[in-house]
Amino acid sequence: MSAAPMLEIIDVTAGFGAVTVLHGVSMVVPAGSIAGVFGLNGAGKSVTMKTIGGVVPVRSGRVLLDGEDVTTLSPEQRVARGMGHVPQGRQVFPGLSVEDNLRLGAYTLRRRRRARYAASLERTYSQFPVLRERRHQLAGTMSGGQQASLSVARALINEPRLILVDEPSAGLSPVAQLELRAVLEVVRQTGVTMVLVEQNVAFGLSLVDTAHLLQTGRVVHSAPVASLDNDTLATHLGIGRVLAGATGSALLARKRGTS
Amino acid sequence: MTAVSLPAVLAGRPGVPRVVVALLLAAVLPPLAGATPLLSEPHALLLTGACVTAMAALSLNLLLGYAGQVSLGQYAFVGVGAFTTGIVTGVADLRLPWLLGLLASAVVGAGLAFLVGLPALRLRGLYLAVVTIAVAYAASESLFRIDAIGGGSAGKVVPRPYVGDTALASNASILAIGLVLLVLLWRADVNLTRSRLGRALRVIKADESVAASFGVDVARYKLLAFSLSGAIAGIAGCLNGTAYGTVTGAGYGYAQSLALLVVVVVGGLGSRGGVVAAAFVVTLYPEVLLSIVGDGIRGVDLVINGVVLMAVVAFQPRGYAGAMADARERRRARQGGEPPLPPTRPSLPDLGRPSGMPTPRRIHRGEPVLHGSGISVAFGGLQAVDGAGLRVDRGTIAALMGPNGAGKTTLFNALTGALTPDAGTVHFLGEDVSSLAAHRRAARGMGRTFQLIGLAKAETVYENLLIAQHLAAPYGVAAALTTLGSRAWERDLRDRADATMDGLGFGRYRDTPVGRLSHGQQRIVEIGCALVTSPELLMLDEPSAGMSPAAAEDLASTLIDIRDTLGRTILLIEHNIPLVLATADELYVMDAGRVIADGEPLEVVGRPEVVRAYLGQEVSA
Amino acid sequence: MGQVLLLGLIQAGIYALFAVGIVFVYRATRVLTFAGGEIGTASLYVAALVSTRAGLPWGVGALAAVTSAVLLGAAFEFLLVRRAVDADPVVLSILTVGLALTLLSVETLAFGSSPQGLAPPFRGGVELAGIVLSPTMIASLVVAAALGLGLQSALRRTDFGLGILAAAEDPAAVRLVGVPLARIRLVVWSASAGPAAVAALLVEPTVGFVTPGYASTLYLGGLVAAVLGGLTSLSGAVIGAVVLGLTESVAQRLFGDAGIPNLNYVVDLMLLLLALVGRNALPGLVAWIYPPPPAAPTSTPVAEEIPA
Repeated sequence: MSAAPMLEIIDVTAGFGAVTVLHGVSMVVPAGSIAGVFGLNGAGKSVTMKTIGGVVPVRSGRVLLDGEDVTTLSPEQRVARGMGHVPQGRQVFPGLSVEDNLRLGAYTLRRRRRARYAASLERTYSQFPVLRERRHQLAGTMSGGQQASLSVARALINEPRLILVDEPSAGLSPVAQLELRAVLEVVRQTGVTMVLVEQNVAFGLSLVDTAHLLQTGRVVHSAPVASLDNDTLATHLGIGRVLAGATGSALLARKRGTS
Repeated sequence: MTAVSLPAVLAGRPGVPRVVVALLLAAVLPPLAGATPLLSEPHALLLTGACVTAMAALSLNLLLGYAGQVSLGQYAFVGVGAFTTGIVTGVADLRLPWLLGLLASAVVGAGLAFLVGLPALRLRGLYLAVVTIAVAYAASESLFRIDAIGGGSAGKVVPRPYVGDTALASNASILAIGLVLLVLLWRADVNLTRSRLGRALRVIKADESVAASFGVDVARYKLLAFSLSGAIAGIAGCLNGTAYGTVTGAGYGYAQSLALLVVVVVGGLGSRGGVVAAAFVVTLYPEVLLSIVGDGIRGVDLVINGVVLMAVVAFQPRGYAGAMADARERRRARQGGEPPLPPTRPSLPDLGRPSGMPTPRRIHRGEPVLHGSGISVAFGGLQAVDGAGLRVDRGTIAALMGPNGAGKTTLFNALTGALTPDAGTVHFLGEDVSSLAAHRRAARGMGRTFQLIGLAKAETVYENLLIAQHLAAPYGVAAALTTLGSRAWERDLRDRADATMDGLGFGRYRDTPVGRLSHGQQRIVEIGCALVTSPELLMLDEPSAGMSPAAAEDLASTLIDIRDTLGRTILLIEHNIPLVLATADELYVMDAGRVIADGEPLEVVGRPEVVRAYLGQEVSA
Repeated sequence: MGQVLLLGLIQAGIYALFAVGIVFVYRATRVLTFAGGEIGTASLYVAALVSTRAGLPWGVGALAAVTSAVLLGAAFEFLLVRRAVDADPVVLSILTVGLALTLLSVETLAFGSSPQGLAPPFRGGVELAGIVLSPTMIASLVVAAALGLGLQSALRRTDFGLGILAAAEDPAAVRLVGVPLARIRLVVWSASAGPAAVAALLVEPTVGFVTPGYASTLYLGGLVAAVLGGLTSLSGAVIGAVVLGLTESVAQRLFGDAGIPNLNYVVDLMLLLLALVGRNALPGLVAWIYPPPPAAPTSTPVAEEIPA
């Protein structure tokens, strides 16, 4: 793992309208590593992702991609500079065929170096054989797991330097989650830098090198996965402690007392 | 006909624009006194034309501004009114009264609009637009040119109304009739917007599924909107035909319909004052320009209209009225923002079931309020809910938890009737409601809130509490337009809305549009809307989503109050585990479409299968 | 019989030209444009200025007409569509009504109601079943079909075309694969004005003169044909135009003496209602014109994280 950061977020605040969601988020993702962003609903995971991608503009702070300041660039420009997206809900183009989805994924690659596309497509098909089988099928008619594969493949085919994966397991059946797990393993083996947002913490932790734990728009804890234990996770996520019943019983006592 | 009497109009009663009163006096008084009219005949005709445009604008505003249905052929209905008047009053030698022509115009206009509205029940906005254009052409180019209807190339002659044996020959007298009609329609429009009918249309425009959840029969109200709009347009046509004396198809074509669209969009969709003002301005300013600049300017007004329409749509889609509202908003913002949220310490009043709604069925002790079993729903390839079921007992809070995508909201929608499950039954208060539509279940005492706030965002808190009582005041269209027979109902609704608002601690936000409240506040308003009709069961979809921890604590005590003080039953979907533990008596946990655990909440969250569902399959260390 | 068929096809050619432009915009933006007729008429005035007044060849005038239409479309997108605060398709459709009204009134202001002539590009014609077919009449249907197929294949075969299709399905997602959404919209609005100009140029010799708004009445046929064809299919638009043209022609033959002037508008309305209501009633019969939409997404929609 090289030490130079592929992605650096420096003290970013962001939000919608009058609402500020991120209050000074900072994060460093070294090249070739996989970073996980975890938190409960509303913690700001998705907004963090959208800020990195340029979909939600930052109010203050900076976003650096491989040392280059991309804070003011549009999402399209960031993709051209090597960012890839696996958006939340997958968002494949349902009315287009699998191959057309992939071709669109390689939009900036084909503009830069069209000759590379054939090889890139071939590589993608060998990584995801199911997509080769279904290359002419409309993407919207595939199963959830297959759409997840397509969404990941669509990002990879453009040969990105950084890939942003937003809630990939959401809405997938357990079987499809297993498929997805295998797909993301493929991505990991390519050595591309990845940022993964996941609500299914265990699923995410099994993939990432470093975990960033978010609560109400702030990073409350960043650590290598190896150094994490359930208690730390529980404390910083705010779910585990309740599942363990520690504060739950106190609340329960209060409820019994008042009613 | 309406609550406003002519003396009241003349006295400039609030709600009647002073300009209208002044014009009416100017038109009516001098001829009555035997003097020359203050207005010259051409000017009176011009003003009558403005009245016609204003009425037509009110009719399009009702359809497009209130109900959100696109019509690009509104002048077809106006034309129908004009020709109907000509036909009815022109029947040889019968000398049928003009008023009969007026009535017939309204009825035929309403009938035609009803027919055009029928396909609208199934069509999305733009398909409907094409249909209305086709209606515009078919009416003005074909139907109105049939000899029997349109009177051949010379056009249809519309005789002047008679008073006794004297015809009302002067344009000023027709203007007076026009102004009276405009005032009456204005008044009816005011009544409409303040009635359950107007509220139903607004909420349909905002969100049809929200409307259905408040018990609004969407199809019926859309057709009502078309019919009323057609009736008003017919009346406008009657006046226009009477004023000009002859009617030809060319006067009621696509071009006129588009010009009307300019008036309504520029005035501000949904703004009565805005569109009537725009009608007068757009009709009169070209004449003013002509008299100032001279004939060279002829035709420029049409260019201006087109450019203004584009500019308004692109930069201020809410038109003049919207621009004014924004300006007021900015002034208020400069004078200091909204006060902070008051401590919501609710003391909820027990309102009892509204008299207009059926009393919920009585059930035996031990019988569940809600019982769903074997419910399955599939979307495409995904089995979203797979044989799930749950029961909720009276006076308890049941919670439904589960990771994202577990199928909670889908199950919820199957229970409320928002979607039809592939299999399974739902019993509510001992009755099988499986085959009932959402609004029928609502009428039986099922109140719900939505994951994404189910409120009409542009309307005030108070308005939303009124809309929520749609089923509680079942008065009809005539009552809505005249306020005769609706006042007692409305008073009751207002009292209930006020009591609920105060009970939730929202009195000071009475007139604040819901969209401007914080997310947490909107949630509370939504719960208030569900509560205001005193439903037996309250179903809440993620009420604490997006709330701060402090607000969630307040929510918890509100829920406990609803259960303990009001004795209501609650089912909630919730992610916030502390909230669930603090409130719920029974907890159901879903994963992958199935209910994987249920029972005493604290015990259930400790079960390994629940922990696994939340932390995922491979618990790492 | 042959005459009825022929008259129907001539009309179909005119409708098809407009319908192709309408469907192209709809596929790319989900907006139904009501301005095509007036864009066509306005560009025809440009051709009349260049060819009739300045005496340049028809080809130069036609080129000027198409160019000015494209520039007009681009300006419309850049100055208005892009800035529309509310990007709802219905609102944008009303914006195109504004453009139509503006162009119509400018035409009236600039050229009065006096017809402008434009010499036809070709002389002569073939006589068939008692009707003299001019070359532009034959060209209309051929050009419409070619334009439809050409656009269809451009949308499918080029990356940019695919981007256009994808942008109509999911504007947010195309930006995330690096497709420049703003440029796509600019190109769509300007390119869609081209067919309108071509349509007007080919229709003009049949009508014989240019008056303000002359194309608007024909444009209604284009709208109806586009809807008959399912609004999203370019080939469907051409088929819809043929169905509409033939029906009008047959109805004229059967009921032409019934004393209903401009019977074609009544036929348009009836056919439209039949298709729109029938689509729900007889799904099997018309399924081949209206391809079923792609299956619902197989995932449950995931709630956005809602800011507090």
